[in-house]
Amino acid sequence: MACVYIPVQNSEEEVRVALDQLPRDATDILDILKAEQAPLDLWLIIAREYFKQGKVEQFRQILEEGSSPEIDEYYADVRYERIAILNALGAYFSYLGKIETKQKEKEDHFILATKYYNKASRIDMHEPSTWVGKGKHNQNLQVNFYKCTRSHKNLEHTHLVTGQLLLAKGDVDQAFSAFKIVLDGDRDNVPALLGHACVEFNRGKYSSSLEIYKRVLQVYPECPAAVRLGIGLCRYKLGQFERAKQAFERVLQASHMLTTFCMFFLDPENVEALVALGIVDLQSNEASGIRGAMEKMQRAFDVYPYCATALNYLANHFFFTGQHFLVEQLTETALAATSHGSTRAHSYYNLARSYHSKGDYEKAGLYYMASVKEVNKPQEFILPFYGLGQVQLKLGDFKSSLSNFEKVLEVYPENCETLKAVAHIYLQLNQPTKAHEALKKAVRIDPRDPEAFLDLGELLISTDSGAALDAFKTARNLLKKANEEVSIELLNNIGVIHFERGEFELAQQTFKEALGDGIWMKLIDSEAQSDSFRKVLHQPMDASLAARIYKDMQLFHNLEKNGITVELPWDKITTLSNLARLFEQLHKTETASILYRLILFKFPEYVDAYLRLAAIAKARNNVPLSIELIRDALEVDDKNPDALCMLGDLELKNDDWVKAKDTFRAAKDASNGKDSYATLCLGNWNYFAAVRSEKRAPKLEATHLEKAKELYTKVLVERPANMYAANGAGVVLAEKGQFDIAKELFTQVQEAASGSVFVQMPDVWINLAHVHFAQGNFPLAIKMYQNCLRKFYYNTDSQILLYLARTHYEAEQWQDCKKTLLKAIHLAPSNYTLRFDTGVTLQKFSASTLQKTKRTVDEVRATVAELKNAVRLFSQLSAASNLQIHGFDEKKIETHVGYCKHLLEAAKVHCDAAELEDQQNRHRLELARQAAIREEESRLAEEQKKVKLEKRKQEDELKKVMQQEQHLERIKEHWKSSSGSKRKDRGQEDEEGGQGGERRRRKSSNKKRKRDKKPMDDDQQDYEETNYYQPDNQTNDNDNDDNDNRLAAAGLEDSDADDDTGGAPSSNTGRRIRGWSESEEDEPEKRQPSSSPVRDNSAEMQPSDGE
Amino acid sequence: MKLAWLRSLETSHQDCVWACTWVPATDKSPGLLLTGSLDETVKLWNPEDLSLVRTNTGHCLGVVSVAAHPSGKIAASASMDSFVRVFDVESNNTIATLEAPPSEVWQMQFDPRGTTLAVAGGSSASVKLWDTAEWKLVATLSIPRPEGSNSKPSDKGNNKKFVLSVAWSPNGRQLACGSMDGSISVFDVQRAKFLHHLDGHTMPVRSLAYSPLDPRVLVSGSDDERIHMYDAEGKTLFSSMSGHSSWVLSVDVSPDGAAIASGSSDRTVKLWDPKMRAAVQTMTNHTDQVWGVKFEGGVRGCLLASVSDDKSISLYNYS
Repeated sequence: MACVYIPVQNSEEEVRVALDQLPRDATDILDILKAEQAPLDLWLIIAREYFKQGKVEQFRQILEEGSSPEIDEYYADVRYERIAILNALGAYFSYLGKIETKQKEKEDHFILATKYYNKASRIDMHEPSTWVGKGKHNQNLQVNFYKCTRSHKNLEHTHLVTGQLLLAKGDVDQAFSAFKIVLDGDRDNVPALLGHACVEFNRGKYSSSLEIYKRVLQVYPECPAAVRLGIGLCRYKLGQFERAKQAFERVLQASHMLTTFCMFFLDPENVEALVALGIVDLQSNEASGIRGAMEKMQRAFDVYPYCATALNYLANHFFFTGQHFLVEQLTETALAATSHGSTRAHSYYNLARSYHSKGDYEKAGLYYMASVKEVNKPQEFILPFYGLGQVQLKLGDFKSSLSNFEKVLEVYPENCETLKAVAHIYLQLNQPTKAHEALKKAVRIDPRDPEAFLDLGELLISTDSGAALDAFKTARNLLKKANEEVSIELLNNIGVIHFERGEFELAQQTFKEALGDGIWMKLIDSEAQSDSFRKVLHQPMDASLAARIYKDMQLFHNLEKNGITVELPWDKITTLSNLARLFEQLHKTETASILYRLILFKFPEYVDAYLRLAAIAKARNNVPLSIELIRDALEVDDKNPDALCMLGDLELKNDDWVKAKDTFRAAKDASNGKDSYATLCLGNWNYFAAVRSEKRAPKLEATHLEKAKELYTKVLVERPANMYAANGAGVVLAEKGQFDIAKELFTQVQEAASGSVFVQMPDVWINLAHVHFAQGNFPLAIKMYQNCLRKFYYNTDSQILLYLARTHYEAEQWQDCKKTLLKAIHLAPSNYTLRFDTGVTLQKFSASTLQKTKRTVDEVRATVAELKNAVRLFSQLSAASNLQIHGFDEKKIETHVGYCKHLLEAAKVHCDAAELEDQQNRHRLELARQAAIREEESRLAEEQKKVKLEKRKQEDELKKVMQQEQHLERIKEHWKSSSGSKRKDRGQEDEEGGQGGERRRRKSSNKKRKRDKKPMDDDQQDYEETNYYQPDNQTNDNDNDDNDNRLAAAGLEDSDADDDTGGAPSSNTGRRIRGWSESEEDEPEKRQPSSSPVRDNSAEMQPSDGE
Repeated sequence: MKLAWLRSLETSHQDCVWACTWVPATDKSPGLLLTGSLDETVKLWNPEDLSLVRTNTGHCLGVVSVAAHPSGKIAASASMDSFVRVFDVESNNTIATLEAPPSEVWQMQFDPRGTTLAVAGGSSASVKLWDTAEWKLVATLSIPRPEGSNSKPSDKGNNKKFVLSVAWSPNGRQLACGSMDGSISVFDVQRAKFLHHLDGHTMPVRSLAYSPLDPRVLVSGSDDERIHMYDAEGKTLFSSMSGHSSWVLSVDVSPDGAAIASGSSDRTVKLWDPKMRAAVQTMTNHTDQVWGVKFEGGVRGCLLASVSDDKSISLYNYS
């Protein structure tokens, strides 16, 4: 049994104290020590023994007594032991400080510890450090071999202790300098080395830390477990998991042997090693490893229930097993047990994560925040930043979220998940370029991540559909390769892009793939239908119901009645609706309508389907049905701005102006003014209102125009890329005569519109053509109208044909004008305005031909024919007016008839004259021709004579030569002469070719621009007014306007009897004419170059003006 | 069921070709193709090689319609000036000039027996029937005006019943006409009585054709891009077929009654299978609106002709 002997003062005797039988009350032994003035090392031994036995109070009592001022005084010379005592106390308190969880007490302990160390260092500044080893890597480990085995043998140094203290407080840099002082004195000072290693470890320099530990092991092979633990941890941090594991295992093997060395390892189990080993096991990521890890954690927990690390890992484990209650318990305990920042950070993180997964984002955010606050540098523990970012993203705090994710990226610049999250936020913050960069990086880093490609595709959808398509396709292929299910959304997206790019076949395939098999397939593909199915599907319907076909659901009831289940999973609605939209594009409209109805059959609240059906009905001119369908949609959602806008549009079509305005207003209100389409509609409404009003009040007109402009501008401010608003703005500008700006605007819109299959903007083409027309650039206007007709209307729009005819008329291309009008009549047979216009054109053509000074008889004949046609057209109109078929004024028409007949008579004279002249001409020509023929004949005869003469000459010569030369040469000579004569014949033919010249002369163009263009220009404005934006809304009104214009124009220009009609024409005409006279005053300067009014006919205008 | 392109003639007329029909073969001449154009001419073609047989002039303002008498000896052409010219196919002698002012003239068709010429009368909202022996107007089949419409001059509603197209049933008992408002009216010819409307179209019905085999089946083409198949007697809609991307200008039923051909503003000619309710073939050889498609009614061969705004004529073999 170990004993100590206290020498009795002034004698040889000793008091024997058995160390295992130390009195409970330390005062007894203290009294002895004091009385006998025992050496201080005995005090230390006894104190340590008390400590070993767990009698901390006694330990403290002895040491405190041993460092009291009396002792200092008495043992003034004994420096070493005094320092040892102080150091022991210091170490004790610093340990207390470390394990204390309450901040206040913790501070107190540290202060006390510092006091003792300071006192020690005052005793001897130059004393080497106390052997108070304390391996410490981070605070959770608290491996403390404070005053280990050989403390009494080693020299102590306060610097070392101070260093450790500083380390314990987390002041790494100062600790480092403290250790450095020691190491400068003794390179192999083990505690200093350990401290240094610890510093390096804390600084994240794991490999250098590892090196130092290894050196410690060399210097001191029986080192405590802590060294191995340190090695293990370093290896772990360096990613050498196997070797780390070995190290930890050795710690555990050795731990019971080493217990003696470690004052505070009171248990045979080293908690830290257990925990570390557990972590390594976890790292293995295998089921068995994880199980083992949890067992070890459990053991550590049993050994020491306040080890925060173990708690955290257990919590982590239970998080993954979903036992959130345990997670909270454990982490709360862990939080209570430790003040170490990073451990707390882990605990908070666990807690936050638990709430996060439960969907309590507020709380999760708070705990993430707490966790983040505990972390000094993001690189130490990045997860809470990520979590915080996620939660903030969820809560819509994009800016903070972004900054957190960016912190993650600083540490892990290549983390795909984070990059994706960042990209998502950039997108939300409307910074698509940055989002694009982030996603591109993510895709580059991990080209096998389908999700990243998906995100990238979604990002690019609006900007670069081609690239988006590629991204989506890559995602699809990756998923397919991995044998994962390709989501319907992805396929849908691919389909949509194909659709947008006009690759309809591919789009259809993709949509079908997305939809899989179902009732829709049978509805789409008639070949897949069985006969019985087809029979049910194609039951004839009463023709009187056919007008309401898009509301018919009987079809599905019939199918169900016949035992065919009609099912539609909700997640396929969107794709099915897209497919239906595609069928619309492919003009398989009836199939599309069945699909839409299928959607509505199953999901009657799917508003879009109603709207599409309404649009189909509208395209078929079935306004009542369309309105009914929209009302259905509004029943589901009475604030749906799209439905309201459409309704307004239809009301306009029904000429229900006031209602339409209210509806548009409601649409605007329903979307809080954010729906630019509603605003746009209101703008259009105002524009139409400005140009349509029956009583044309300039003031009202100006107000409406101003209002329209304001609304268009508003839309443009919100969405600078809105083409329709730009178009509207251009129209208003054109209306105000600012053609150049308008043209600029239209051109830009036109360019912008030519890209998507969905954006069809024929209006802007028409407007542009109108501007060209207004500026007198007829050829360009004609080209533009023609292109527009062909490109957008399959040449079926009679209104544009009318514009075209009008341009031809202005360009005095009478035949083109007539043909164009006839085509228009053919397309719109019931539009009598067109017939009237044709009549006017014929009349104008004839008049202008007759006014020409030089004209051929054919021209005059054509004139007569056309005049007859005009008369017939007008008389037909006149007859029709009796039947009240159209709204023309009968007298007006009769005026035209009269005028044409008058012209016809005049033409007859001209015709006769021309005929005569023609005959004379012909006679003259005939004479000339005969003369020419005669001349030719004589010339020919002469030539022949010449040839003959020559021939004879040659023959004579030949004969001579024959006489002199041989037979062969004579033949050669003969060939030469014969080929020469052939050439001459050809020359004659050329001369005859000149006779076609006469025909060319007839085509003499007549480009003289005549007379007052003024009314026409204004007329042109009416054209403009009518068709902007949605010409179909306006067609009917326009007809009347044009009609009036035509009437007036015709009357003004040609009709002598116009005076009579002064009082008679319909009020519209009068109104119109007044309008012209007003605008004429406004505009002449502007129009000078093109109009230069010749006033010869303007006198005729006066009566009208006076109206 | 298939169309095979045979031949086309690029510039058959100076301008848009708006009408075509087949003139049945006679003992003297084979079947000919008759076309009418905006260029104010009517032309006769030999289908063998699309060679021009003759050019008839005399019309003003564009020829909108041509019709051939079942005998193959007489034909009629109509232009926008509302004159109908009836002429002898062989000699081109004018037999009669018909007009019924103020009624315009749109589509025309001879009845299967050849005793009557039906003319769609435009704004008169009626079909005029002309006797082919005397060339006298024998009847006006008027579409009854909807109740309570005392139309005013400015009322746009007046033109809604504007009659564009006309077709005889194969037995000659019924006659159908199509209007601007999309309605089709069916008449009992013998009693000169209006029977009923067939609703379903919502835009002008430009072309009508009965199935040659079944007098109940009426096919119609409309600006609403649909082709409808009606039971003209039972007042039911068999099917509504979409697929053209613009107006359907012309429809015809094949002699075997198994296929429908259509010409459209979308520049295509389509062949439809009424059983499948789907287009089985699309011909894209025209470059502008196809105003006329017509099966040759003869028993021996089955040709389809199409004429277009692109000034060309095309022939196909139907099998």
